[in-house]
Amino acid sequence: MTVTNSIEVRGLVKRYGDVTAVDGVDLSIAPNTIYALLGPNGAGKTTTISVLTTLTRLSAGSASVMGLDVSVQPNAVRQCIGVTFQETVLDDALNAWQTLDFHGRLYRQDRATRKRKSQELLKMVELEEAAERRVRTYSGGMKRRLELARGLMTDPDVLFLDEPTTGLDPQNRANIWEYIRDLKQRNGLTLLLTTHYMDEAEELADRVGIIDHGKIIVEGSPRELVSQMGADSITLVASGDTVRLAERLKTLTVVETVTIGDQVIQIGVDSGNRRLPEIIGLAQEVGCHIEDISLAKPSLSDVFLKYTGRQLRDK
Amino acid sequence: MHAAITIWNKQLLKLSPEETFGLLLQPILWVVLFGVGMKGLIGQGLPSDDNFYISFMAPGIIAFSALGGAIAGGSIWLDERRRGIVNEYLVAPISRLSILRRNARTIVTTTLFQARVLIIVALRKGSAIAVDPIGWIGGMLLVGGFGLGFAGIALAVASKTTEPGAYHALIFLLNLPLLFLSTALYPLEALPRWMQIGAQINPTSYVVDGLRRLVFEDGLSMAGDDVLPLWSCFLAIGLFASLGMGLAYSAFRSAVE
Ligand SMILES: Nc1ncnc2c1ncn2[C@@H]1O[C@H](COP(=O)(O)OP(=O)(O)OP(=O)(O)O)[C@@H](O)[C@H]1O
Ligand SMILES: [Mg+2]
Repeated sequence: MTVTNSIEVRGLVKRYGDVTAVDGVDLSIAPNTIYALLGPNGAGKTTTISVLTTLTRLSAGSASVMGLDVSVQPNAVRQCIGVTFQETVLDDALNAWQTLDFHGRLYRQDRATRKRKSQELLKMVELEEAAERRVRTYSGGMKRRLELARGLMTDPDVLFLDEPTTGLDPQNRANIWEYIRDLKQRNGLTLLLTTHYMDEAEELADRVGIIDHGKIIVEGSPRELVSQMGADSITLVASGDTVRLAERLKTLTVVETVTIGDQVIQIGVDSGNRRLPEIIGLAQEVGCHIEDISLAKPSLSDVFLKYTGRQLRDK
Repeated sequence: MHAAITIWNKQLLKLSPEETFGLLLQPILWVVLFGVGMKGLIGQGLPSDDNFYISFMAPGIIAFSALGGAIAGGSIWLDERRRGIVNEYLVAPISRLSILRRNARTIVTTTLFQARVLIIVALRKGSAIAVDPIGWIGGMLLVGGFGLGFAGIALAVASKTTEPGAYHALIFLLNLPLLFLSTALYPLEALPRWMQIGAQINPTSYVVDGLRRLVFEDGLSMAGDDVLPLWSCFLAIGLFASLGMGLAYSAFRSAVE
């Protein structure tokens, strides 16, 4: 049997007592792709990863990694994955060398391989100079980078990254993004990462799955998802009868989506520049006073808002 | 086995000079502060050769160091669980049991190390010690078994809770009767009836009396006529070690799944 997908999940359910953390997730992730699970707190991202990395048993459905069923052959799955957890999991009494060396030994790598891989990875994540220092003296970004190196120590086929950049400054985030892209290119890795950050998913992922309440609501490449929203997105802040304005807007053929918030109306249109005057005219007609109007390319935030009816708390 | 040794090595790697110093100092303080102090208190009516009391006390002190080692080992495991470090082990292709084996091994190693230090200290304090190597090996087996049994209990508790406070409270509660309801500090015949019964079901009495018979022979005279027979010591400690490990195993299984 040839492996077609690196990760294959069918109807995955995970319950913790009364709580259903994952509620029927399907995933098919092709080799050498970066897949981002995007969702708010408590959506079930970590739980999905825990099942795929054999930390937790699934309650129903099936899941396999590199063609190996996580329930049947957990040890074979463990052999071909690398993981970084949501929380920092580092022994802070060790230094970077010791951390990587210990990890390699757990996987029975010989001494020469451990040395070669540690050197190569510490160089990649730019920790060579700090490598002799105990991890306890590291900044958050340095710890994250070391964890990433550790996840790669054993040349995994699939790498799981649970919120790889949460809490990092823009420069560290950009660095991590660069490593991730590079890894995909050079090593042919498959990556499954989770994130709250729209821009991260948009920047990095070949495919994005928006997950909420344990279900994948919509899935596609960032571009596909965004293009559903219309070519442009107009955000309007107005006072007056905004409800009536929204109703009228919906009747225009050039308008593709209308989402109304408190005083904010978000309008997806085919071509913003040409539609702005029309929309302003319409607002005056129904007696709405426009306080602010802006035109932007739609983003994943708009997609998220459309499918969940909520704004993802995004920075 | 491989994984257990790897994880155990990491523990040794992390051992700071302070910790090593503490491990060394602990038994010495026991002898000096407790042993010598107690001797002043109750050893006054004793025969003039006052080294008897050190020999009498030494096995008990070895047993308590074993308790200390087990408690420390349990809290390492608790700490790794709390900080999620255990997840690194759990996603690695190693046997689940090797993680438990590592913990037990750490505890037994420190216990045996401290026992050796203690015997040397006792020797320097003038205690006469049996030179029979079989006796020594037997004594170390008893200490190791006792360490393993208590390590099991500590690891079981540490697998069931994630609260360091709860862990220490429970272990402390177990510790007191293990210490005082035994033949470690006083001869069996000096105890009231109900305490005698307690002492006879307490594994501490068996490791202590076993050591008296095998290693610290000159403490035997002070321990009175009711020193537990050697075969019962091995039997009781064997049972205790198995029970402890059994408890740890089942608690551990539920903790990692
Ligand atoms: N061990 C557990 N016991 C009970 N409930 C749990 C457990 N782990 C997770 N849950 C619940 O399952 C749901 C999904 O949690 P999960 O950690 O997968 O979310 P998440 O998407 O990773 O969120 P976050 O962005 O906050 O990390 C939550 O409601 C959570 O409370
Ligand atoms: Mg999470």
